[in-house]
Amino acid sequence: MGKSAEPTLLQGTLDLLVLHALQRGAMHGYAIAQTIHLLSDNVLTVEEGSLYPALYRLELDGAISAKWGLSENNRKAKYYEITKRGRKLVAQQQATWTRLSGAVRRVLAR
Amino acid sequence: MRRLFLKLFRRRRLDRDLQTELAFHREMSAAHHNPIPLGNAAAIREQAFDLWRFSFIENLWRDLVYAARGLRRSPALVLTALLSLGLGIGVNTAMFSLGVEFLFSQPSVRDAGSLAAVRVGGNSNSPEKVIDFIRSSGLFQDVAGENEETFANFNDGVETHRIFAVYTTRNYFTALGVPMLYGRGIIPSDPDEVAVLHYRFWRQYFNGDASVIGRTINLDGRICTIVGILPEHHRTLIGFGYSPDIYAPSYLEDTTLAIYARLKPGMSIAAARAGLVTVAKRMDAAIPIAWKYEDNLSVLPIAGYARFRSEGEFQAIGVFFALLLAIVGLVLLIACVNVASLLLARASARRREIAIRLALGAGRGRLLQQLLADSLLLCVLGAGFGLALSQITATLLARIQLPLPIPLRLQIEPDWRVAAYAALLTSFAVLACGLLPAWQSVTESIAPDLHRERKLRLRRTLVAAQIATSVIVLATGFLFLRNLIDSSAISPGFDVRHTVRADVNLPPASYSDVKKKTAYINQVVRELAALPGIETVAAARLIPFTDNNSFGSSLTFPDNNQQVHVEFRYNAVTPEFFQAMDIPIRQGRTFSPADHADKVVIVNRTFVERSLGGRQPIGTVFLWGPDDKKLSYRIVGVVDGTKTITIGEEQQAQLYEPLDQIVNDRLRIQFVLRSAIPPALQLDAVRRTLHSLEPMAGAQVETMYSSIGLAFLPSQVGAVLLGSIGVLGLVLAMIGLYGVMVYSVVRRTREIAVRIAIGATRGNIVRMVLGDSARLTLAGSLIGLFVAIFVTKPLAMFLAPGLKPADPLNFGVVLLIMLLTGLAAAWGPVRRAINVDPNSALREE
Repeated sequence: MGKSAEPTLLQGTLDLLVLHALQRGAMHGYAIAQTIHLLSDNVLTVEEGSLYPALYRLELDGAISAKWGLSENNRKAKYYEITKRGRKLVAQQQATWTRLSGAVRRVLAR
Repeated sequence: MRRLFLKLFRRRRLDRDLQTELAFHREMSAAHHNPIPLGNAAAIREQAFDLWRFSFIENLWRDLVYAARGLRRSPALVLTALLSLGLGIGVNTAMFSLGVEFLFSQPSVRDAGSLAAVRVGGNSNSPEKVIDFIRSSGLFQDVAGENEETFANFNDGVETHRIFAVYTTRNYFTALGVPMLYGRGIIPSDPDEVAVLHYRFWRQYFNGDASVIGRTINLDGRICTIVGILPEHHRTLIGFGYSPDIYAPSYLEDTTLAIYARLKPGMSIAAARAGLVTVAKRMDAAIPIAWKYEDNLSVLPIAGYARFRSEGEFQAIGVFFALLLAIVGLVLLIACVNVASLLLARASARRREIAIRLALGAGRGRLLQQLLADSLLLCVLGAGFGLALSQITATLLARIQLPLPIPLRLQIEPDWRVAAYAALLTSFAVLACGLLPAWQSVTESIAPDLHRERKLRLRRTLVAAQIATSVIVLATGFLFLRNLIDSSAISPGFDVRHTVRADVNLPPASYSDVKKKTAYINQVVRELAALPGIETVAAARLIPFTDNNSFGSSLTFPDNNQQVHVEFRYNAVTPEFFQAMDIPIRQGRTFSPADHADKVVIVNRTFVERSLGGRQPIGTVFLWGPDDKKLSYRIVGVVDGTKTITIGEEQQAQLYEPLDQIVNDRLRIQFVLRSAIPPALQLDAVRRTLHSLEPMAGAQVETMYSSIGLAFLPSQVGAVLLGSIGVLGLVLAMIGLYGVMVYSVVRRTREIAVRIAIGATRGNIVRMVLGDSARLTLAGSLIGLFVAIFVTKPLAMFLAPGLKPADPLNFGVVLLIMLLTGLAAAWGPVRRAINVDPNSALREE
């Protein structure tokens, strides 16, 4: 289990990324990981060890809801969907993130 | 809320869901030719689940179940732990509830917090007209009075019993709001002839028959109507468990009563006191007496902590209870160390299990919690056992009629204070028993042998601490035992082995006439003296230790007109008193019937030394009495002194008058009989004689030895209590020492086998094990003695004169006992060691 050379996810950003991915529609855990991976131009890899605990936590918080469905290859899979509460949360976190990353960029530029 | 519901309804499916999901994830990864994640599925599961569980409670529950399962496999450990903790916690709560009841109990009245004890003119008791005056002043909401220390003669149709009566003002029950079991309290419109019975009295003489209300009883020859029954747990205003037999309205003109006032709502004690000063000033003007009501007045709270703070005697008892609590606390500590030691040994056995769990990624905090569950379970069970034990002890204690001259019954019931104390002790015990072993297990690494060594050292340290603690407890116990022996050796100054005491209370109606009283006394003395085996009979106003009369007055010596202030204990006796009591007459003679010409007295030697200023005592004359009518008294004899209130007291000055020289205004009269045969055999004959002479008089007849028992009670209680606590601590420490020695021998089996194989004799082996035990015991004992020297210092106030807490003999004996205990505890391990068979022991390795 060697550490990947790729940049690891900043603490707390995973929730935002998961919620953002889910804004495109309901998808299962693997699809969420893939979406984030692709959208980040293969830079970010979400490992299942952090993904599933995050999903279970978000579900408990009411930011997403889950139901069982059939996957594209006809397997039973759990589909996650963003809730109203989740959308509100994503807007908030996105604003925070933008402010934060902008600030970091400004610091590094000087 | 939503979370709670989700948690409640979804958690069952959680496990299966997650498994399916993870499997799906891996399948998809494989299908897309992505690297299959090798993450720790169990860790993900734990992480995800922790959120969905009521983790703390659920974990705790699972830990407890697990602990119970584990402990069931080691019944010896459970038994030892339960016994140790049960005894420890039980003794502690019993002592605590005793102290709470004794010091902080609330009397059975409505709103005890607004009641206050009032004294005017420095008198504990005042006549009823004073009470009426204060009540009519309107300062208080209500004022009532009671005379607590009186007797009444109760005739049950066959026999007359001397019973304890409380005479009250008629508004007493209404003003105080005393709860009743049946009937009602005394009310202002009642006549003199009514009575309220105490529960126990009612059970004893009326078999608890509720229809007794409205019937009559014979009290001092008066026919009184029973109006009510007090409940079983009635607590009097005096407290201390005093339980009188009846309450009746005060009917004699000269009865004085203690005053209790109900404060107006919002009135403070200080304001009440200030108001009382004004009332007392008016009273001084209205009711002229020899002293001033205004002087020495006080308003004191009657209940709970406020009373505790305001009364000095309470604080002394409080200190005593605090001391007892500290000592039983030490015993609990010893018990906890035992259990900790056992758990430490158990932790060694679970080393592998814990190592695996640590390797699998279990958090240390989580493991700590699990290991503490063991001690939590043991302590809660132990506390339950202990509470049951303390309840049984307390109930038994309450049933025992203490050998006291007044009826004391403590009503010990579990209440929130006791429960809170028990809970506090239990949580303390959980940490004390469990924390150290648990911490040891969790911090253990992969070098087990090193750790086993350290663990043994830790156990040895614990045992040494245990021995030190037992030394402290034992030293205290021994101190009180010595105190008992020492104070028993102090002579009260009169013969208690061959004497009988009869305490008679005459009915007031027929004996208000002094002449009639004197005739009765003379007749009793004559008839009792005629009984077979009786050598001498005397009558006395009082007998030491059962009653007391102290005087402080001025004597004037006419030879040089010198005035001396003297404090002395007073008594009036018949001439045979000194012979009957075996009090030696040092100079002069006893009284004689020829003394009637002038007033005579006999004094003790202390009186001579303190007051006579070097005069030759026999024949010395002094003037004594109120300023306007001083009378002349002549000393005719000097006797040795007796103790009068406590056995340990300093010798006081004493003065005796002939009984027929004084105006005998008292209804209580005592007789002392000197018997040639064992005094216990005379009791029935004396009772019969007294009953035949005056059936209406209640008489208490007992041997002198049992009647002065009260004087020895404090040291007896101290010795028995602390002695048994000391033994308990010793036994617990012995168990601990035994455990450690066995463990150490088992661990060294191979070493012992090698030693035997290369020629060590039995003596060598025995010396080795015994030496080990002795070293441990000695180290612990010395530390304990060192601490005990400082800790026992404040005990001096409870000890007989001449006995010092830091007594070398005392400490020597304790040290010896500890060493013997060490030897006894090592006996089993020694036998085990010498029976080691080198062949089999070495082959096993």
